[in-house]
Amino acid sequence: MKGIRLLILTAFLLVSCQTLPAINPILPQNQPKSAVCSSPFLKEPYRLVHAIEARIGGEIQGAIIGITLVDPSTRFVSCAIMTAEGMVLFEAEAKPALKVIRALPPFDSGDFTKNMIEDIKLIFLAPEGEIKTKGILSDGSEICRWQEKSGAWIDVIARLPEGIEINKYSVYGNWQRLVKLGMTSENIYSSIELSAKEALNYSLNLTLIEAEPLEGELKTEKSKGSEE
Amino acid sequence: MKREYLILLFLLMFVLLPYSAFAESFEQLRLDSANIKTVQARFVQKKQMKILAKPLIAEGRFFYAAPNSFRWEYLKPLRSIVISGNGDAKRFIMSGGKMVEDKSGGVQAMRIVLSEVVNWMSGRFDRNPSFKASLKEGTNTLITLVPVGQNMAGMIDKIEISIARKTMAIKSVKIIEGQNAATIIDFTDVEINKAINPSLFQDVE
Repeated sequence: MKGIRLLILTAFLLVSCQTLPAINPILPQNQPKSAVCSSPFLKEPYRLVHAIEARIGGEIQGAIIGITLVDPSTRFVSCAIMTAEGMVLFEAEAKPALKVIRALPPFDSGDFTKNMIEDIKLIFLAPEGEIKTKGILSDGSEICRWQEKSGAWIDVIARLPEGIEINKYSVYGNWQRLVKLGMTSENIYSSIELSAKEALNYSLNLTLIEAEPLEGELKTEKSKGSEE
Repeated sequence: MKREYLILLFLLMFVLLPYSAFAESFEQLRLDSANIKTVQARFVQKKQMKILAKPLIAEGRFFYAAPNSFRWEYLKPLRSIVISGNGDAKRFIMSGGKMVEDKSGGVQAMRIVLSEVVNWMSGRFDRNPSFKASLKEGTNTLITLVPVGQNMAGMIDKIEISIARKTMAIKSVKIIEGQNAATIIDFTDVEINKAINPSLFQDVE
């Protein structure tokens, strides 16, 4: 009986834990279209405003507006969440130290700020680390596997022509995040889907409202950041 | 989330307020408010924040019918509607191309807050213990509401409502949330006591 329980538990764990997919080497007859890895990440400072639809356990929780300010050169991130009515629910920045400017319930709980900044970095900033492997997945998609300084793994997969996927795995290879970026629009951040594995799994659908580059504006932020 | 809906309900108050705001006292306001049966208007909302270089613009429309039916609708950038037919408030948001009901806990809180709106709609602006109200006459009538309790602490510093004295039309509403954030709402095409189809307070589309 004990053995059966163990077998069931093992099977359950195998089903519930997605791990790093196997990467096949690139064969000479199967060379990828591009020698470089897909890089859907920001190259210059940007401000992006998105409509965000949040779901927990597949059930829609509400719709909010997200404002994100990102500088890839310094990895500075500033973000805010507000309701359609203009009520600011959350505001924080990472310079890189986290600073919460405003957090109303339920955005004041636990690791919300840390997770949110990490999610923003995953979507908009190139991983901090190095590419460990390039290759082809079993379905033929091209993949580049990064290992971050923290030890976490990030797979950037070109699922063309649909879009680009970013998967994040823990140091131990357990799946944590999936980001899907559509390729149907001029701006790659027009439509973003993020799925997260947490104590309460959640997903976010982001639809771009406006985007603008902002080099001059962030110089002030940089100087402020260096003073702190 | 209760506080979030308080903001929305302040907005309702702003639309109703000006048509009696030329009165010289809050007592006169109460008497004049009794004449308002319906209100409809369009609005443009400008959100100012430090993180935004230029204000984020939202547009929408508003309908009210006495005693307690209203529809506050954002058309863009994020479509959402709060409707209340006879006090039963529901919030809807756009999801997957259709309007779906927002079932977060805030809706229940909104029902509680609605009881406060009944007071406002009766012109009892100076009787809400959460705010200290003052009225100043000039070229424009300026009504200032300053929170007195802890309920709004850290959220709203003050609310300024500017009304053109000649036309009695509301000019602007400014919700000052702190040193670096404010919400400004401009109303246009305001119509008072014009018939409104009751379905607007029941149907989302």
